[in-house]
Amino acid sequence: MTVGVPGWIRTNLFSSPVDGVITIVLAVIIAIGAFNAVSWVFFTASWEVITSRVPLYVIGRYPQDLYWRPETALLLVSVLLGMGWRMWGGLARGFAIAIIIITLLAGVLPYLGVDLSPPTEPDAPPNEPKHLVNAMFILNFVAVAVGYGLAMIPSIGRAKTFFITAIVFFIISAFLIIGSSYIPGLDPVPTQDLGGLTLNLLLAAVGIVCSIPIGIALALGRRSQLPFLKYFCVGFIEIVRGVPLITLLFMSRHILPLTFPETVSIDELYLAMITITLFSSAYMAENVRGGMAAVATGQTEAARALGLRAWQTTIMITLPQGLRNIIPAIVGQSIGLFKDTSLVFIIGMLDLVEMGRVTIQGNLDFVDDGHEVYIFIAVVFWVFTSSMSYVSRRIETALGVGRR
Amino acid sequence: MIQDAVEQSITITDPNIRNVPLEERDDIIVCENVFKWFGNFCAINDVSMNVKRGEVVVIFGPSGSGKSTFIRMINRLEEHQKGKIVVDGIEMTNDLRNLDAIRREVGMVFQQFNLFPHMSVLGNITLAPQRVRHMPKAAAEALGMQLLERVGIPEQAEKYPAELSGGQQQRVAIARALAMQPVIMLFDEPTSALDPEMIKEVLDVMRELADTGMTMLCVTHEMGFAREVADRMAMFDEGQLVELGTPDQMFNNPAEERTQLFLDQIL
Repeated sequence: MTVGVPGWIRTNLFSSPVDGVITIVLAVIIAIGAFNAVSWVFFTASWEVITSRVPLYVIGRYPQDLYWRPETALLLVSVLLGMGWRMWGGLARGFAIAIIIITLLAGVLPYLGVDLSPPTEPDAPPNEPKHLVNAMFILNFVAVAVGYGLAMIPSIGRAKTFFITAIVFFIISAFLIIGSSYIPGLDPVPTQDLGGLTLNLLLAAVGIVCSIPIGIALALGRRSQLPFLKYFCVGFIEIVRGVPLITLLFMSRHILPLTFPETVSIDELYLAMITITLFSSAYMAENVRGGMAAVATGQTEAARALGLRAWQTTIMITLPQGLRNIIPAIVGQSIGLFKDTSLVFIIGMLDLVEMGRVTIQGNLDFVDDGHEVYIFIAVVFWVFTSSMSYVSRRIETALGVGRR
Repeated sequence: MIQDAVEQSITITDPNIRNVPLEERDDIIVCENVFKWFGNFCAINDVSMNVKRGEVVVIFGPSGSGKSTFIRMINRLEEHQKGKIVVDGIEMTNDLRNLDAIRREVGMVFQQFNLFPHMSVLGNITLAPQRVRHMPKAAAEALGMQLLERVGIPEQAEKYPAELSGGQQQRVAIARALAMQPVIMLFDEPTSALDPEMIKEVLDVMRELADTGMTMLCVTHEMGFAREVADRMAMFDEGQLVELGTPDQMFNNPAEERTQLFLDQIL
């Protein structure tokens, strides 16, 4: 009776007349909804608002002759994914293949007559394919291969090396994308020209990476016996957690500068990075504190009984176990922070969401295309955040093995 | 070279002391009128007890009687609030230097093992010698392997604690405590969390340890072990040291009714 697909349908969907009616009504509603959605996506919607200006959503108005800088950063990411593919397979392989496919498309399509950022002037001649830009996209599969090859060397293919490489590559990438007046050949890119998804990713990455050490320091400070240190940390954490990020960003741009001498001005990009980092640090501190509090007291007692000092016990016993406890929380926070980075519009930066808004509001051709733009943006955010939570679940499983 | 140094340092206690009569040995632990309260609850109530060098004392009594609290005071995991505790000539005060010195002399084994789950077996054992005694890594590892040899599980060195059986974990915990080359070992119900078939392997290690002349304070209800190994037994009840005597005296002719009652219940 409950065998196979017909059996399953009978027991679960049509077990009584009322069930059958409910099933049919719901099925009709779902079918109509799905039909409408699909026909809207493929026939009604006008995706030109996306396809005609892909670079804007990806990286804002970044100068085209400097595209090699973010593209180099992308190559570094590919090297890391290649290493991950060799070391862990599965997930990293999926990401590596995805990046190879996307970059190959990005590099080859211009030669097939698909132009993702056509000239806005009606009579202008079509763009010539930019060979360097396209070649650097296509080269990503080589970068993946290089990473894969490097990881085959036993001394490189280790988790520790991978994470150190990731941090180094991250710093290099940030400098490449932003530029610095102190490094010859890497002129700073005007903050207004850096935008789109790259800005969201950059801010989120800086925020999470920098907030981990600061959050640990704040958490340790909060557990400290020294009253001044303790209450400073408690005060910082509670004040920052009590204020919405959008308010902090606004204050950093419009109120904080009032306290500076007039000659000093801090670029919005750095203001955003610092504010987001400090904001994230307060939450990170509470995560770390919770993770450390969850470590069994027997661990501390054993360490103290062995003669380890209090600070040694914290650094070598409580902290490592506490950090392992909070990996899911850190990923959760990364996801939240990634989405929160879109709030930088309040200080006039053109992140992915704001870029969409500006596109529909500033362009008569696209003034009716709000649905298309926001659905596209939602899908982009969803792809990144769901990948992040998938990665975290895999890490949790991996770390649980053979430990506790 | 390293092997010799390890060999020397590992036998810091003198097995021959077991042949010296108790009354001719010096006191290694002196407790005088010790009190300890948790809030209003008096956990240790006026306990005075001296332990001789190389002596094995088994501490027993009903749960909540203060026996665990008592041995935890010997290395200051619990602070005593009144009275005097002297360990190997060092008085237990709030002076951190005294405390560090005492903790170096006293090893401890816990009911729940309390191994560090994020370190390998060898990492667990070599951590304190390296960080507290500043032993070079190679020497600490040689010492660690020697100790694992002694507790019978050298082949488990690279594993993580969760991959070991309870009995093996407890033997690692003993090796970890021994790596600091203590002269006193405290055992807080070391076999209570173990399956019956693993109790023997841990007691065997403790028995061998007693033969090396180690001073041992064991909170345990393994009365076979007590009868065979203990020099003296201490009965605790309601925070008080009810009775202190040789196993023979305790089992055959206890002076206190409470001791008699308790032993009748558990034997």
